[in-house]
Amino acid sequence: MASPAQQLPPGWNAEWDATNQRYLFIDTATGHTQWEPPAGNPEAPPQSQGSPPPTHHGKRRQYAAGQTQAYYGSDGMAATPPQYPAAGATMQAPQQPAQLFTPGLAAEGQFQQQQAVAGGQGGYYGENPEYINAPQQQTYPQHSPAQMGALADQFGQMNMGQKGPRLFTTNLLAAPPEPFELHQPPPPILLPPGACLSPSPFANADPSYQRSTLNAIPTTNALLGKSKIPLGLVLTPYRSLKEGDEPVPLVTDTVIARCRRCRTYINPYVQFIDGGNRWRCCMCSLSNEVPQLFDWDQVRNQPGDRWARPELNHAVVEFVAPTEYMVRPPQPAVYIFLIDVSHNAVQTGMVATATRTILENLDRIPDESGRTKVALIAFDTSLYFFSMPPGGSESSMLVVSDIDDVFLPKPTDLLVNLSEGRQALESLLGRLSDMFQDNHTIGSALGPALQAGFQLMSPIGGKIVALTSTLPSVGPGALKNREDPKILGTAKESGLLQAASPFYKTFAIECSRAQVSVDMFLFSSSYQDVATLACLPHYTAGQTYFYPAFNASRTEDAIKFAHEFGEVLAQPIMLEAVMRVRASKSLRMSSFHGNFFVRSTDLLAMPAVPQDLSYAIEVQIEDTITAPFVVFQTAVLHTTCYGERRIRVVTTALPTSSNLSEIFASADQVAIATLLANKAVERSITHKLEDSRDALFNKMVEILGAYKASMTAAGAGASAQLAISENLKMLPVLVLGLLKNVGIRQSAQIPPDLRAYAQALLTSLPSQVLMPYIYPTFYSLHNMAPECGTVGEQGVIMPSPLPPTSEKLERHGLFLIEDGQTIFLWVGRDAVPQLIIDVFNLPSYETTLPVLDNVFSQRVNAVIQKTREMRRGPYYPHLYVVKEDGEPALRLWALSCLIQDRADVLPSYQQFISQLKDKVNGSSY
Amino acid sequence: MYSDLESDYVNPVEMCNKLNPFVIPEAILHGFLTVLFLLSGQWVAFAINAPLLVWNLRKVITEQYTFDATEIFRSLPDHKKEAFARLGFYLLCFFFYLYRMILALITE
Repeated sequence: MASPAQQLPPGWNAEWDATNQRYLFIDTATGHTQWEPPAGNPEAPPQSQGSPPPTHHGKRRQYAAGQTQAYYGSDGMAATPPQYPAAGATMQAPQQPAQLFTPGLAAEGQFQQQQAVAGGQGGYYGENPEYINAPQQQTYPQHSPAQMGALADQFGQMNMGQKGPRLFTTNLLAAPPEPFELHQPPPPILLPPGACLSPSPFANADPSYQRSTLNAIPTTNALLGKSKIPLGLVLTPYRSLKEGDEPVPLVTDTVIARCRRCRTYINPYVQFIDGGNRWRCCMCSLSNEVPQLFDWDQVRNQPGDRWARPELNHAVVEFVAPTEYMVRPPQPAVYIFLIDVSHNAVQTGMVATATRTILENLDRIPDESGRTKVALIAFDTSLYFFSMPPGGSESSMLVVSDIDDVFLPKPTDLLVNLSEGRQALESLLGRLSDMFQDNHTIGSALGPALQAGFQLMSPIGGKIVALTSTLPSVGPGALKNREDPKILGTAKESGLLQAASPFYKTFAIECSRAQVSVDMFLFSSSYQDVATLACLPHYTAGQTYFYPAFNASRTEDAIKFAHEFGEVLAQPIMLEAVMRVRASKSLRMSSFHGNFFVRSTDLLAMPAVPQDLSYAIEVQIEDTITAPFVVFQTAVLHTTCYGERRIRVVTTALPTSSNLSEIFASADQVAIATLLANKAVERSITHKLEDSRDALFNKMVEILGAYKASMTAAGAGASAQLAISENLKMLPVLVLGLLKNVGIRQSAQIPPDLRAYAQALLTSLPSQVLMPYIYPTFYSLHNMAPECGTVGEQGVIMPSPLPPTSEKLERHGLFLIEDGQTIFLWVGRDAVPQLIIDVFNLPSYETTLPVLDNVFSQRVNAVIQKTREMRRGPYYPHLYVVKEDGEPALRLWALSCLIQDRADVLPSYQQFISQLKDKVNGSSY
Repeated sequence: MYSDLESDYVNPVEMCNKLNPFVIPEAILHGFLTVLFLLSGQWVAFAINAPLLVWNLRKVITEQYTFDATEIFRSLPDHKKEAFARLGFYLLCFFFYLYRMILALITE
């Protein structure tokens, strides 16, 4: 909407019409008026509301569309006959858009595309014939955007209700899951015309920031119950920006317009009334005054253009907060490193690797204003403090062996300013591992060390990074080894996933109040009680990292840890954050999953927010929703690590629907799977692991049953098919992946530490990383297309993913399996010798992958490199070379990633589907 | 208390700190009373109180008697239900004891 007046051809004039919330265009020569921008200006947005998608048109139009198709000929997709949601019972042959999708496209690119679709710009369809609803779009190949606008406008005036996305039914038995479908954007958000003030494609939040399990909200709770799909939001408010991502726009003039009643921040979905002097809140419909300085450009000191303000054009914005939003002046970032220097830790090389990583990353620790403070505390069964006088280059060690009542040996100099104490810190980090080289103390006073770190930083708050490689054994917070192989796989196992000692929970609450966040890096080779230790990061909004049986002499371990630790140190963090999610009337946030402390019914306290952590929130519908669309707004009030108080606001508007088929057609399988993962983990802790698996399976059965009962002709009777809508096609395989994930899998072999860590990952990974984690990606490298692994327009072109099943493994092939945490390079038993020489340079290959001077090796390396870089988050998957006839443990591990296979008691995909089908047919729907 | 928490008048940490010191004394008092009934041969009164005694004992043994600030919002409905049941039970007991007392006085 940015000043359309300037983009008009000569002789035209634009005038704001308050009643219709759009610009009226007047031809000054003839006096002719129209809604759509005058033609002759192809750049102009078609109209202010974004043209509604082609699904608008009533039946009459659809017939016409069919005719047009006949004229234009059908190119592939157009062959599909038009379907009406009302006649959803029709089964449709599964579409095969395979040839149209470029799997190498990085996921970011996907999100952008989808943004554009969500923005609903008419002209966009022409460029993207491979989109799933393509058949209709091709019926208007010749229309210019302006004409589209005119059409849409007509329909708007005829008061035709918004038709939702169309439902394509598919049969799960006949259509195996295709991995690339996971990369499809979620169903488009089809807002009613006039909902949004801005034509900007960014007016609705990108799904990587915030996505809903349903892109059309049912109007009543009964309807939601009928669909059986859980309603929830999946958010990653502090998402990292990769290259090519839009930076979050910043509002610097501290004019923050909020609703007086519900405290909603102004967003593109409000309505200006009363000649633009007041605005109506999109959530509670209260009319508020527009702040006086809202139209004032404070930088140039002249009247500004309201429509250019970022908060009216972008769904994700950041406000610079004025002093009313501060309890105290913005705090500096504080990092305290607690390093375990007991015998075990030194021997495995953890201390040396950690200190070297800190040393190398001192420059990357966010410290632009020179205020960042750092401290270092080493511990075994005593605590070792290091005093670093500012400006000096030497540090002195102070030992405290009274660990039952921790005190700080010195009031000052323990916590130093990073730039002032730089020299001392560098020399200390260089010496630390040598200092404790001959330490034979076994045991760890992690609890007292945490308390000491807490005392040191409690006036300021900040981040404690604890690195430990043994079970805490002395002082407060000591834990017992409660691992018992006999109860693994039994009902009692979930006890091992609960916190053993209340210390870590109560301490977490203290930390949360003092704005202290804890990150745990765990390295033990024996039982370390990850479940209990992970409580601390969980409630203080940190993150747990676990390197089982870490040993720095294995380069893969060292590189992985150093890389991830370095990324954690280098990433900018939000400090002192509180998050609140607001939603339109009659929607209520009912429960919260993720790493934070729930401070009041809907306020989430996060002392420090690392990048790329995901949170899931379940939503309840309390009353009948009458509005045509609803708005979810997440606001995170935080201090940046550069010392500025800011508010990040993420807004998503979703249409409402009273039509079950629209609700099914707008379900977002990735968001559903993320929400289910969170719920399953919670259930496995409060109930039993088995309960959580049953709950997952039953949920899937319920959804399929509901779909069958309401959307197919079979109704309640038995059916030979297992129907689900096209956009939910991957849900069963994702659920199967979840059931087979280490965190939930039925097995008596999984150590509780690994399980607890997998559960921590399941609840905190953003969807983009979580999807491969539960549904690994599988590539075949030996016969990939020649352009794969070379640099294309979108970066390195990736081969097309295969369904993860061993059917696709060939004995002579080279395959890549990756789940975001590890990469396996699978070498077949009868791999061609030339291939092996090309890739490994040796007839008998090693466990590492060299970069060689031949094209194939470079392509393979490029693919692996891209795999490591394409996702968000600090994780650095390590590459294992797996020989088919090699080490059985590694081979089994790699095979366990092929989740569509049968393993032990766990069903294969076909078995799983037929189990589902039996259940669906057997139940009394 | 619980409704205060729901409507955000009190924060969960303070609430738990306030309530937790009372959990054990309450259980002890109740246990003491029940044992007294048992010793004095008040079988009916004992039978009424026994289920609650078992319930309290179970909670203490499984170490779930304290309110956990981190979980409180998740378990709020359950806590509420339990608190109401307890209140009802104590009220009932009070009238029962009163009735027995009056009965005893009259028979004297």
